[in-house]
Amino acid sequence: MAVCIAVIAKENYPLYIRSVPTQNELKFHYTVHTSLDVVEEKISAVGKSLGDQRELYLGLLYPTEDYKVYGYVTNSKVKFVIVVDSSNTSLRDNEIRSMFRKLHNSFTDVMCNPFHNPGDTIQSKAFDGIVSGMMVQTASYT
Amino acid sequence: MAQCVQSVQEFVQDSFVPMVAVLCSEEAERVTRKNKLGFAELLRPFCRLTSEGHIRDPNNQMQVVKNLRICVNNVVTSPTPASAASSPALRRLLNDVVLSCQPQEGAATNVITAGDYDLSFSATTPWFEAYRENFLQSMPASDHEFLNHYLACLLVVSSTEAVPVEQFLKLSQEQHRVQHSGEYTNPKWFIPNTLKYYVLLHDMSEGDEQRADSVYEDMKQRYGHQGCYLLKLNSRTSSAEEDEQIPDPWSQYLHRNTLQNQVGRPCVSLLHLLPCLLADGASTSLDSHPLQLDPASSSGSLHALTAANAELKKGSREPEGPAGGHGACLTLNDHDHIRQFIQEFTFRGLLPHVEKNIRQLNDQLVSRKGLSRSLFTATKKWFGGGKVPEKSISEPKSTCGLLYPPEAPELQIRKMADLCFLVQHYELAYSCYHTAKKDFLSDQAMLYAAGALEMAAVSAFLQPGAPRPYPAHYMDTAIQTYRDVCKNMVLAERCALLSAEILKSQGKYSEAATLLIKMTSEDSDLRSALLLEQAAHCFINMRNPMVRKFAFHMILAGHRFSKAGQRRHALRCYCQAMQVYKERGWSLAEDHINFTIGRQSFTLSQPENAVTAFRHILTNDSRQTATQQGAFLREYLYVYKVTASTFLPELPLPCIHSSATRVYFGHERRLAEGEKQAATHVSLDQEYDQDTAAMWGHLEEQLVAAANRGTVPANFQPTQCCLNSQTDNLRHPLAVAEEPIIVEVTFRNPLKVPLALSNLSLLWRFSADGASPSQDRTTDWSAAEVITNEETVSVGARLRLLPHATGQLHIVGVVRALTHSVDVLLSPGQQMLDLMVVRGRQDLKIRGPRLNQTKEDKMLIRHGLDLRLDPIITPPMPLMELLLKQNVSFGCGCVALGHGSFLQRHYGDQPRSPHA
Repeated sequence: MAVCIAVIAKENYPLYIRSVPTQNELKFHYTVHTSLDVVEEKISAVGKSLGDQRELYLGLLYPTEDYKVYGYVTNSKVKFVIVVDSSNTSLRDNEIRSMFRKLHNSFTDVMCNPFHNPGDTIQSKAFDGIVSGMMVQTASYT
Repeated sequence: MAQCVQSVQEFVQDSFVPMVAVLCSEEAERVTRKNKLGFAELLRPFCRLTSEGHIRDPNNQMQVVKNLRICVNNVVTSPTPASAASSPALRRLLNDVVLSCQPQEGAATNVITAGDYDLSFSATTPWFEAYRENFLQSMPASDHEFLNHYLACLLVVSSTEAVPVEQFLKLSQEQHRVQHSGEYTNPKWFIPNTLKYYVLLHDMSEGDEQRADSVYEDMKQRYGHQGCYLLKLNSRTSSAEEDEQIPDPWSQYLHRNTLQNQVGRPCVSLLHLLPCLLADGASTSLDSHPLQLDPASSSGSLHALTAANAELKKGSREPEGPAGGHGACLTLNDHDHIRQFIQEFTFRGLLPHVEKNIRQLNDQLVSRKGLSRSLFTATKKWFGGGKVPEKSISEPKSTCGLLYPPEAPELQIRKMADLCFLVQHYELAYSCYHTAKKDFLSDQAMLYAAGALEMAAVSAFLQPGAPRPYPAHYMDTAIQTYRDVCKNMVLAERCALLSAEILKSQGKYSEAATLLIKMTSEDSDLRSALLLEQAAHCFINMRNPMVRKFAFHMILAGHRFSKAGQRRHALRCYCQAMQVYKERGWSLAEDHINFTIGRQSFTLSQPENAVTAFRHILTNDSRQTATQQGAFLREYLYVYKVTASTFLPELPLPCIHSSATRVYFGHERRLAEGEKQAATHVSLDQEYDQDTAAMWGHLEEQLVAAANRGTVPANFQPTQCCLNSQTDNLRHPLAVAEEPIIVEVTFRNPLKVPLALSNLSLLWRFSADGASPSQDRTTDWSAAEVITNEETVSVGARLRLLPHATGQLHIVGVVRALTHSVDVLLSPGQQMLDLMVVRGRQDLKIRGPRLNQTKEDKMLIRHGLDLRLDPIITPPMPLMELLLKQNVSFGCGCVALGHGSFLQRHYGDQPRSPHA
């Protein structure tokens, strides 16, 4: 499934990034960071046409040679980015959508934690678990 | 894409200009050599025509030719075929061009505010333009297009020649031989009967002017007055008008040549290996046979290198004069003569020649069109529409589809299109290219089709009034064909450069960026780097600037630049990208950039920048792995070791926990010694205890009150001999001369790798009473060696200071040697000391507690004063130490002195301890 999952704050700094440990983490950081440009472009395009009723799921942001990058923006402008291996063709749009929904729910739970300081990086174990469930297991990958 | 100096139209127009060859007699060459210039070089600054020319198209419509530039080159018959485009010589040339073109300090910078980013970057990229110009000039002449084939040939003979007319004949034969003997694949000629223009060069300083005039009259008889010219030069006598300042228009052209010259030299060894295929002796021209003179100068068919050849030979013959020495024998009048000559040649010779040829080709095409159409319908009728192009059977098939013989009828239309294009008749050119494209495509001649597509797009763009939109898809197909089908990266690159520039001019930045990014490949790092950089500029110039894409592509470009050996450019790219990543929480990426910047700056001998960059990596709360941190640390220490020989650098590692610093005044004592108990609660080994402190403070107050007969003085403060973050540090503490001050500093290692500290000492500043503050000084090395082994473990180090004079002391910081402790553990003994040990300082900056009294204090974050480290040294005074026996019980209201010791010290004496 996903090879990298990231949560980006409204101010575009990372709240949470996790990637498959077998691969170069730095590369994913760059990929996710660069994808924010497309996210912003999509937000501004959507905002104009539909007003406040908008789809949170942004769809495929851009394909690179090896990966596909999907985006999702909450109403509070927190961005979720999921990077999927290009070779993985079994993943359909709907599944990505449900992954984002799951991620969003878990993120909401984190935010509901009274001890969590909004704006801090996410260190919740429950959230970690959800993300792990969505990531490719290294053992099966190699 | 960054802004360019030229406008797009100018740039595209200048990429394809009519080519004119030069054949010079030896005498004529000698005349021009007086100015340290070859004939072609002599003309070069004047090759742009300022006035308008006119040409009639086949329909007899008048067409204006504006701002035309022609390109004049010596004839170089090189044995190497066109593949030279990817030769190492050219690569070196381009590399050097880019290397020598660095951004100037204080050059115009763009400041863009996008979202919450403020970026400043250079608005222009002259290195890219220099690269592009040189690249386009060095395009090899190809068989599928005629644009850079020679249209005309100037035959230059000096009037001092015995029989100039004979020389002309000789040169003319030579030209004919070069073009038609079939011996040479280069240079390529546009039309079989090349225009020959006869130039008689007259040196005013030595020749007989009358004779020159008569020879010219003779020439006019022979070649017609439109086919020859008398150029009078060198009218300036060097002695007479020395003071006169003459502009040197050659310098900007020749500067480039010297560069190319440098490139030319190293390929000598390579060129020695080339078989010398040249016929001997037949030539009167110097430049046409460089191999005879100097094997070093035959470096391929590149026009750019042609210039280098001349330069090279010149260098070998006469020592290079000062840079401004070109054209020393020419007056401004002579400049005008040259300008007039070019104008005359173009308007009287070249344009009518082109016009005539267009007309001829047009006639041919019209007749062929009718014929072939009828033939085609006939064959269709006869053979039931079985369409077999007759030529494709015999033609050699290449990877690019078929190849036409040079005189194939299919090529005639392309030839006409190219002619029209060169004389700026873009409308006709477009329709010709369009037709040619269809022909080539139906024949599956892919290389030809791509060429026609490319030029069709360009001429559609250049059409005045833009009757049709720029067909970007033509270009895309052309690029794809060049690259994937024909495997010709040079042509694909040319196409991409043109298309990107055109798209940019139309504001289609994202298309331009995609195009440029697609052109990056493994085969050339330099090209990839430059194109990526331009793509980055495209992203930032978009209507909604894509800052992050800009930064990302800058990093990619920087990476490729460094692979191509262009360190300065790489550093610049990384620094520009850094603006986006800086302090935005993307620490992994930031670390990577900082690390690269550090390395590049270090290799470019900018150690200060390297140190700053490296420091960023290590001060951050790093997310890197331990091995990565170890690598960072090693590089960092290495850079430090090299730079920090003279002054004490400020080391960021390990972190000092400033507020946890404790200061202890007086001799260090143990609280308990056997059964004796010191009558104090303070010791460095003991945690600060608020309650006992309060108790002792109260006790002291009572004592003072008792001594003062029941009243406590208003300025009473309880004695504090150990200061820490919880004590009251608002006043300068008092320290006694000849009694030690002990400072305990707490270190924290933020890294995952162990660090070793050694040779710690305090750094202090002292001002004796009434004197000005002294320089920073250090105490002797303390023997203490602290190794902080595990992450986030805090370790304290105690440092001792013994004041001898009275005054105001200020403890500034700590000096210590930092070592990568893996080395310490591995290497035995002293060896480690010279390996990776750096001495550096670190300042102790202690903030007082946060103030929380007034409303403003609560609203803002304010910190109080902390004078822990600024003691006032008082004169020596007696010291009393009291030890109590442990089992003494204290009764109510009475003090039972069990066992006391009295200790008095003067000026560092040994303590005497009389019994009480």
